Amino acid sequence: MRSASIRRLAVGAAMAAFGQACCALADEPAPAPIRVVSLDLCTDQLLVELAPRDRIAAVTHLAADPAVSAIPEKARGIPITHGNAEDVLRYDPDLVLAGPFGVTSTVDLLRRLGRRVVVVALPQDLDGVRASVRAVAGAVAEAAKGEALIAELDQRLSLVAPPASPRPTALIYQVGGSVSGPGSLADAILTAAGLRNMSAAYRLSRGGQVPLESLIAKPPDLLVLASQEDDYRTALADNLRHPIIRRLRARGASVELPWRFWLCGTPHIADAIERLARVPIKARGQ
Amino acid sequence: MRGVPGHLGLAPGYLIALLAAITGLAFVVSLLVGPSGIGIDATGEARALIFNEIRLPRALLGALVGGTLGLAGAALQGYLRNPLAEPSLVGVSGGAALGAVLAIQLGLSHLWALALPVGGLAGAAVAMFAVVALAGARGGPVTLILAGLAVSSIATALISLALNLSQNPFASVEMVFWMMGSLADRSLPQLWISAPLMLLGCGLLLTLARALDALTLGEDAATSLGIDLRRTRFAVIAGTALSVGAATAVTGIIGFVGLIVPHMLRRLAQHRPGLLLPASLFGGASMLLTADVALRLVQPWVELRIGVLTALIGAPFFVWLVLKTRAEMAL
Repeated sequence: MRSASIRRLAVGAAMAAFGQACCALADEPAPAPIRVVSLDLCTDQLLVELAPRDRIAAVTHLAADPAVSAIPEKARGIPITHGNAEDVLRYDPDLVLAGPFGVTSTVDLLRRLGRRVVVVALPQDLDGVRASVRAVAGAVAEAAKGEALIAELDQRLSLVAPPASPRPTALIYQVGGSVSGPGSLADAILTAAGLRNMSAAYRLSRGGQVPLESLIAKPPDLLVLASQEDDYRTALADNLRHPIIRRLRARGASVELPWRFWLCGTPHIADAIERLARVPIKARGQ
Repeated sequence: MRGVPGHLGLAPGYLIALLAAITGLAFVVSLLVGPSGIGIDATGEARALIFNEIRLPRALLGALVGGTLGLAGAALQGYLRNPLAEPSLVGVSGGAALGAVLAIQLGLSHLWALALPVGGLAGAAVAMFAVVALAGARGGPVTLILAGLAVSSIATALISLALNLSQNPFASVEMVFWMMGSLADRSLPQLWISAPLMLLGCGLLLTLARALDALTLGEDAATSLGIDLRRTRFAVIAGTALSVGAATAVTGIIGFVGLIVPHMLRRLAQHRPGLLLPASLFGGASMLLTADVALRLVQPWVELRIGVLTALIGAPFFVWLVLKTRAEMAL
């Protein structure tokens, strides 16, 4: 179950990285829902931040998973839904929040059964993050709280040091050698932290993989290692254990950026941006 | 087929020397090719790192894994006296991949580095036993293929199950990793843990030359020539499991090399299974190294997986072999 949902999430993130344009469905004003169920890690987190606990009926188990959720403590103890329509109906929800990918058949079924479903887009930039906060805040009738969260995010972003000139280059290097390309939220996070995404230098666009050899030949000023190698038992993480990565980290700036900081476009991406902006970088003199 | 004056009159020593020379050449070229475009004329730390840590393990693995697959294919074809025998087609590679996946998923490879290749060889051994038991050493080509299909289906199903049950967000991508092998970005430590087992297995298979030559006359004749059939059977199973198991645990399944190479070399090896063994060892090594060079030259930025390439070449070849076998059986 856990792996299925994470995979769904990973697929969703990948689709977002591929630039699937989508927009949050605005909702007509309705009475404040009191039994809200969320089917997506990202809406889980926004819901927990925005709605009072007694109006949340259920979230996914991922919301309390510290590897992927930015707010595991706040989500602990909330009932867990397994995400299929039958299970969701158990909670008799008056609002269901879902992400754009993976659960469309569930969403269709719930709508046919007369439930109110709000699908929230995966943001691809900071404006997208603000939009999804507003979408969830509007759906749960907590617009003021949403604006407060956004104001706090903007406040934190304004305190990030202005970018050096020229901007140092960075690469988000992930399990299997994948990197985050332009048009992804990760790219927007790099930019906001005063960095320049170097994925383009490897002739990649919108994600894809960088061979270790190219990484060595053209290292970024800052190597961002996404996801911790020991979180998951997988042969694909071999690339993160390669001796070359250790050498690169010994020679230049690098930082670990766990998924929980940036997998979802919640206001907590400010944590990721601040963390990246704090790393001291001396240019490699490319 | 024996006795057909089809060979090209190349003395065995020259044939092996020629194939070894081609392997050496392919090995050197493999060191010179890579997505960074850095050649021998480059200098600096990056060059040393690229050669020592990336291209060297890749080329060594390419040679070892290719040699292993070619040799194991030749040994299986000779022992089973069946032209369609091949590590991936008879399910040995699938069993090895399953063993490696289990070693990772159960966390054993975290505790003990050797658990990965040992898991691979255990899986390969189980698959090998299962196929031999299902098809019998005397089973016809069709029985063997069916047995191999059954064993690889079970292995694939269990790999999917293991990845499905795991907490692995990359399960579907990892499935591809195991099913369509790759030499990309392997490291020296991975080479060190797998190479000794591959070499041991290959050594065991190379001792089979006399036994396989004798077996072409039938089991009774082989016994009367002093061949110990049980020892032969042990060497085939253990040698294949060790070499293919350790290879697959590091690279994933690379199919069809063991099918194509012995067929291409059979005539040059004068239809002698014993001579075909060392010939296929070097033939497999040079074929996999060449394929690996080719896919880095053709598409240096979108890395094509070598398992995809060998399957693209091998599957039509397999179809041709099936047609040929059918025609022979109809006679």
